[in-house]
Amino acid sequence: MGLASHLIRRLLLLIPMLIGITLLLFIVTHIVPSDPLSVILTEKSMENPASVEAAIQKWGLDKPLYEQYFVYLRNLMMGDMGTSFKTKNPVSHDLQTFLPATIELSIGSFIFAILIGLPLGIISALKAGKWPDHSTRVVSLLGASMPPFWSGLLVLYFFYYKLQIFPGPGRIDARLTAPHTITGLFLIDSLAAHDMQAFWSSLSHLLLPSMILGWFTLALVARITRSALLDVLQMDYIRTARSKGLKEKTIIVRHGLRNALIPLITVVGLAFAGLMSGAIMTETIFAWPGIGRYAVESAANLDYPSLMGTTLLIAVVYMFVNLLVDFMYAVIDPRIREA
Amino acid sequence: MKATKYILFMLLVLSMSLASCQPKAADVVSPGEEQPMATEAAPAATQAVPPAEAAVLVMAANLDDVVTLDPGFAGETTNLMIHINTYDTLVDIRPEDLTTKVGRLAESWDISEDFMTYTFHLRPGVLFASGNPVTADDVVFSWQRLKNLAGAPAFNLDLVESVETVDDLTVKVTMNEANPSFLASAANPSLGIQDSLLVEEHGGTDAADASTTDTAKEWLDQNSAGSGPYVLTSWAPKSEIVLEANPNYWRDTPYFGKVIIKHVEDPTTKLQMLETGDADIIDALDYDLVDMAQADPNLVVDIGQTLDENYLAFTSNCATEIGPDTAAMVCDPNIRKAIVYALDYDGLIQSVLNGYGVRAPSIIPLGVLGVDPAMGWGRDLDKAREFLVAGGYPDGFDMELYYASNSTRDTIAAKIKSDLADINVNVTLVPMEQSVYLTEMRAQKLPTAFGGWTPDYLDPTMWTDYFGLGDRSIAFRMWYSNPDATAIARKIQTLADGPERAQDIHDLQVILIEDMPYTMLYQTQRVVGYRADLQGYAYHPVWFLDFSKLSN
Repeated sequence: MGLASHLIRRLLLLIPMLIGITLLLFIVTHIVPSDPLSVILTEKSMENPASVEAAIQKWGLDKPLYEQYFVYLRNLMMGDMGTSFKTKNPVSHDLQTFLPATIELSIGSFIFAILIGLPLGIISALKAGKWPDHSTRVVSLLGASMPPFWSGLLVLYFFYYKLQIFPGPGRIDARLTAPHTITGLFLIDSLAAHDMQAFWSSLSHLLLPSMILGWFTLALVARITRSALLDVLQMDYIRTARSKGLKEKTIIVRHGLRNALIPLITVVGLAFAGLMSGAIMTETIFAWPGIGRYAVESAANLDYPSLMGTTLLIAVVYMFVNLLVDFMYAVIDPRIREA
Repeated sequence: MKATKYILFMLLVLSMSLASCQPKAADVVSPGEEQPMATEAAPAATQAVPPAEAAVLVMAANLDDVVTLDPGFAGETTNLMIHINTYDTLVDIRPEDLTTKVGRLAESWDISEDFMTYTFHLRPGVLFASGNPVTADDVVFSWQRLKNLAGAPAFNLDLVESVETVDDLTVKVTMNEANPSFLASAANPSLGIQDSLLVEEHGGTDAADASTTDTAKEWLDQNSAGSGPYVLTSWAPKSEIVLEANPNYWRDTPYFGKVIIKHVEDPTTKLQMLETGDADIIDALDYDLVDMAQADPNLVVDIGQTLDENYLAFTSNCATEIGPDTAAMVCDPNIRKAIVYALDYDGLIQSVLNGYGVRAPSIIPLGVLGVDPAMGWGRDLDKAREFLVAGGYPDGFDMELYYASNSTRDTIAAKIKSDLADINVNVTLVPMEQSVYLTEMRAQKLPTAFGGWTPDYLDPTMWTDYFGLGDRSIAFRMWYSNPDATAIARKIQTLADGPERAQDIHDLQVILIEDMPYTMLYQTQRVVGYRADLQGYAYHPVWFLDFSKLSN
């Protein structure tokens, strides 16, 4: 009962939060002294009264602001996020176009961060103060301090341009075209089309940007794992476990790591949401057609339907990740479930 | 110890996955990618099958500006290149000779003496890519749809009153006022002819209420409905545009059966793709990368003269809503002249554009009718100081410079500031977001503006109208209205290209140099890089590149 009602309460709470976000966004985007017509129309079509009038009518720009907001909210309730000023497409259509690339990249980076970060963290905890710990610290420090627009260019220069062991920018080879869109995830779409060429090309194109984007998260995972595990390993119950003569592996994985997971999951959850929204630089360098670039351009153009759409999407991702993190606490630690 | 093994294992798995997919990716990719044989290998790949079907051209380009590929709506730059390759216009202006209009879908045309009616005679027997014949009905449909959609390119037909069919292959266009520049405007790729049957099949209409009832945009974003050398087969925003050769094309089948335009933003990465052979051509080379590209024997660097001008404009209203103190200064032509003589144009082109720019004396760019380089001037600080005295501020003054910020403009604005400091004019830079800048400028609120102007078609009215007529665009926004200038600009609208028109354009510029509401800072050059084995490249200042002329 506790868990279910907690979950429902949390889900219901999302609604007023989302409405709050839309209101805040609406106010912020409308404070800026920019005429949406300048985005909707081009330089020369502004000279054409027919074009100006058609745009005002089509986008309801002659209506008072509060009315525009309520129309937006009403449409949103019915799943209509509005039409982008810039692309003239429904925002939901644009999000569908750009989101899969970001999801693929985020998942790739996430897998990279966990696959490398977790073991690195464990090793440095077990070998604290020795060379594996120091070298892990260097890797983490580099990941946390090198901005992706720099490290991205650097790895492209060496691994693509100089050594030519990695493919160049983009989601797929320059001489291949994208597989027929089903999910928008190239790895899945190319498999569905039985196009192994496209599959391997997409996979190899995913590696470098995933590493660059995931490096920061890797650093985070390694450092948090190390410190959490170090704390846990000094606990009495670990000594007890040791004195019982349990195998070292069991002690570390079953008793140590499981208890160290709580802080790790919190950080990793937020980091994943961060990957979804923070990939702008990586997307730019690697010519990755994701949501980050779309969001930045919407902001720069004050294309508020799409700006609000992307912000809402990212807010929803954060909310759900938070929810998931809370949920996982309960799974990992029964005490939280009962509390 | 076990943990160390685990991590070693993980690293091994990762490196194996790299190793396993990397060579495969390279296998898959056409041999053209393998280094260092890029140039020899590419043709080899095309030997197995006839070149026209197998040859693939890859262009790395910045596709950020592409928001739609429906010719009824697209008003940006890249779409002009896509449209000239997928749709045929009635009239064409080829890169070899920018002053001559040649027939494309139109075999010939008659223009009434008063420039009120244009009659186009279409080439018989031309088919759309769909197999439908190109008829006068398609011309009427395409242009009425363009006008009635009232989208970005509709302004091209502002002066068109009606488009009618005379017979199957004859179209009569009637103007609502004398319009000698319509041929130039008809060469704009947005006025390409659409297959009316196909567009209607996908929800298109040319009815008066097309702006609300036409639903063909979604289809036209992914497909083309033209008779041009290529057919659009897909567009993934910010990712790629794919064109395939039109099997029904009425002229020679293009050499490249497929053109893939990949979106790449970073200039260095673009050049790397070109050097490794991943790309055959890139849309533009950053000025600071030109030396690097020129050093590579496998590449050709081409410098094309654009007609894109960057100007500094001053308000003629002494009390603008924003920056009234600056307006109070620059509304005086003496002060404006002090400023324009203090600017170091050559230094600006050298230091900021690495020399890849030129400067036109007034509104008309070099390469267009009526331009006279002798009217130009360089930096002259003595003259600038004389004008300061004449304007009543011998000791200088403070002013604000408003502009839409980007990295090039930020640097140039800083250069302007330092140039003007030499005559004790203290400039405060006010960089703005593009959308905010345009909004304020259109509302006539800015005292100064530093911006750019790109033509949509090759006719001098593209400049004389927008800078010379008090109720149009730049002139309107900066409150510039001189009855003499307006009268000449109006007359230019009614003349065909010739000595009289050239003289009027010259006279208009004399007035503008006297009033000095604007000074042209620089006209950019477009540097393009391509693989040395690529033949047939020719730069066009409006639509950039005709893919059908390229071969290996």
